[in-house]
Amino acid sequence: MKERTAAATVMTKQKVSTRIGTAKTKRNLFIASFILPTLLLYLVFTVYPMFKGIYLSLFDWSGGSETYNFIGLANFKEMLDDGIILKAIRNDYILVVGKVIGFMMMSMFFAVALTRFHIKGSGFYRIVYFIPNVLSIVVVGVLWRYVYNPNLGFLNSLISLFTEKPFEFAWLGDKWSIFALLPPSIWAGIGFTIILLVAGILSIPSSLFEAADIDGASQWNQFWLITLPLTWEQMKTSVLWIVMTTLNGSFVIVTIMTFEGGVDNATQVMGSYLYMNAFKFGKFSYGSAIGVLILVLSLITTATLQRLMKRDTIELT
Amino acid sequence: MTKRSKFLKAWSLVLLIGMLSLAGCGSNNANNPEPTTKPTDSPQTTDNANEGAVKLTGDFEIQYFVGGYGDAWWKQVISEFQQLHPELKIKESAGAKINEQMKPRWIQGSPPDFVYIDGAGSNTRQMVTDDQLMDITDWLKEAENADGKKILDLLIAQPEEYQSGKFHAVPLVFGSWGTFYDKALFKEKGWEAPTDFESFLALGDKIKAEDEMSVYIHTGVYPYYINGALLDPAIVAMNNYDTSIIKRINSLEEGVWKSEPVVKALNQIVEMSEKGFIDKGSPALNHTDSQSQWLQHKAAFIPTGIWVESEMANDIPDGFEFGFLPSIGQDNGGKFVANPYISTVAIAKKAKNPEAAKAFLQYIYTEKNGKAWAELSKAPSNIKADLEGTNAPALTKEAAKYYNSPNTVVSPEVVIPEELVTARNNATVALTKGEITPEQWGDRLEEATAKIRAKEQK
Repeated sequence: MKERTAAATVMTKQKVSTRIGTAKTKRNLFIASFILPTLLLYLVFTVYPMFKGIYLSLFDWSGGSETYNFIGLANFKEMLDDGIILKAIRNDYILVVGKVIGFMMMSMFFAVALTRFHIKGSGFYRIVYFIPNVLSIVVVGVLWRYVYNPNLGFLNSLISLFTEKPFEFAWLGDKWSIFALLPPSIWAGIGFTIILLVAGILSIPSSLFEAADIDGASQWNQFWLITLPLTWEQMKTSVLWIVMTTLNGSFVIVTIMTFEGGVDNATQVMGSYLYMNAFKFGKFSYGSAIGVLILVLSLITTATLQRLMKRDTIELT
Repeated sequence: MTKRSKFLKAWSLVLLIGMLSLAGCGSNNANNPEPTTKPTDSPQTTDNANEGAVKLTGDFEIQYFVGGYGDAWWKQVISEFQQLHPELKIKESAGAKINEQMKPRWIQGSPPDFVYIDGAGSNTRQMVTDDQLMDITDWLKEAENADGKKILDLLIAQPEEYQSGKFHAVPLVFGSWGTFYDKALFKEKGWEAPTDFESFLALGDKIKAEDEMSVYIHTGVYPYYINGALLDPAIVAMNNYDTSIIKRINSLEEGVWKSEPVVKALNQIVEMSEKGFIDKGSPALNHTDSQSQWLQHKAAFIPTGIWVESEMANDIPDGFEFGFLPSIGQDNGGKFVANPYISTVAIAKKAKNPEAAKAFLQYIYTEKNGKAWAELSKAPSNIKADLEGTNAPALTKEAAKYYNSPNTVVSPEVVIPEELVTARNNATVALTKGEITPEQWGDRLEEATAKIRAKEQK
């Protein structure tokens, strides 16, 4: 009898373990069924083009020819002698720094105004500030080309009200036109960082502000000592987002507003110069090499920023 | 819901997403179908150039860009050619984006047979460098058109030798750069259209003194305009109307950018800039901006091409009358220099039906089709033909008159690698703003040319 029971126990245990086994496989299969297709798409559309780009940067290929000549690192050597590359890097970082400062200052201001100052209709303003984000960057570029138009534009007409002779400055046709691209870029994207920071501020328990009020802390002190430290994560995310989208995507606004990179490459950025080389000059592999440069610089910049902006996380209990 | 059905549901969702993304890839591939032409359908031809005697069969693919000139002319000539050769299976690959769409086929080595090279993303010189076009030198030297006339004799601009002594493409469209003004405005103000640089400067001073409009507005965003319409003709004029200097430029000869004729021509731009003739807003304007501001009389002169009339058709104010000068840089008593803006046709090196391509080329280069081009595409073709009595636009007729005049020198087109084109654009617009000197202009161009020369010799 005893033996029988023992045998039965062993059998049930086995049953249970196989059931657990199948459950585990099923679970793994279930997870894999979601991960694999995504991974596959990621490999095909992101990893493969990236490595193909790096691979092509080692060749001398026009982009239209049937022959590829392996030239090793010659494209990168050529880059060292190319003055336009330096200009493009400079312009990219002018945009990065200008946008980070402009975005963060203005979006923090608006976010605080919309949450902490109990403005009437703040929900409405939140929508209004987000509208430019919904507009295609092409529309933004064309709109701002009208603002900057030297003879018929809004900006020069406005300035002309205060000058004797009509003011005719070519904002987009100057040596320093790259700065003229900052306002449209900031205007077009600020809604996103505002929303991010608003969400951050709203997640701060109101008891903290109330306590500060009772202790007699001014609004300014509350901002410095409560709002800023507690929205640090959101600010970090915003800054990284701005940096990455600028280094990889400023090509669009440059091309739409100043076409081939402005007067004498005044607004050329790495992305637009890549495009010119790959698709206009018949130097596809040189373009790929510029792509590699963008990749490397983006990695270095984001890694540095992550380091610089590292703070101990503040736990709210 | 049972676990099983949950699992199935999740899987079908994944499959659906997968299929959707695959469908996306599929439609991409559909744009670049494998060529259906089979080498086995070899056409039967004779050596006789007269197409009436040729019996063409097999597949024949024509690639043509559709832009400002439209596609009416292409549709017409292709249908006529089809009637002549009913057994030929003609495939048209056409559109505004055709250059990009066909690019993979050229790279893979299965190009169309015949190509019209025009529009964004096309560059004849680059195609020759990439060894994509057939060397037709010997054939073209003897080739006769459908009427039995020698094709080379009928061309206004001769084929460019992208490689010394070799023809790869034949110019089909002869657009022309030039300096434009409003005849009606000039009549009203009592201004005389200039005939040389001296009279241009004199008139410029007058216009400047009246302070109603700028003297000269240009497309600073695309300095091709000022280079093609002002600088290049001036270079030829300063070289005593000897057009060989353009050939020297095209062959990337060392020192040509610092030669006397070039420097003299650059100094004309400097003079215009120093006199304040050049509209200050120009560096920021694209072609539609500058052209519409010129149409609104914000400036008296503009460098552009004779396509401006059809390009701006919707914005032309009432009473506006297009006036055209091929060049303004010539000395007093000198000739006009016409600088063409040419689009070419060519046969692919890997054409599967080269005989049909040659016959088609012979078919389109007739006087009749030249006139048809002027009427249907509203621009002069490169085929010598009398346009009087045709429906061609007035500006096209006026331009054609200049080309046929003994007082006009037709210059070859400047065809340099795109990279050098851009370097020159940048340098010229910097010159118009007084940011660099003609010497620095020359230094920059010499340096850029040396780089390309070194690469081409490799």
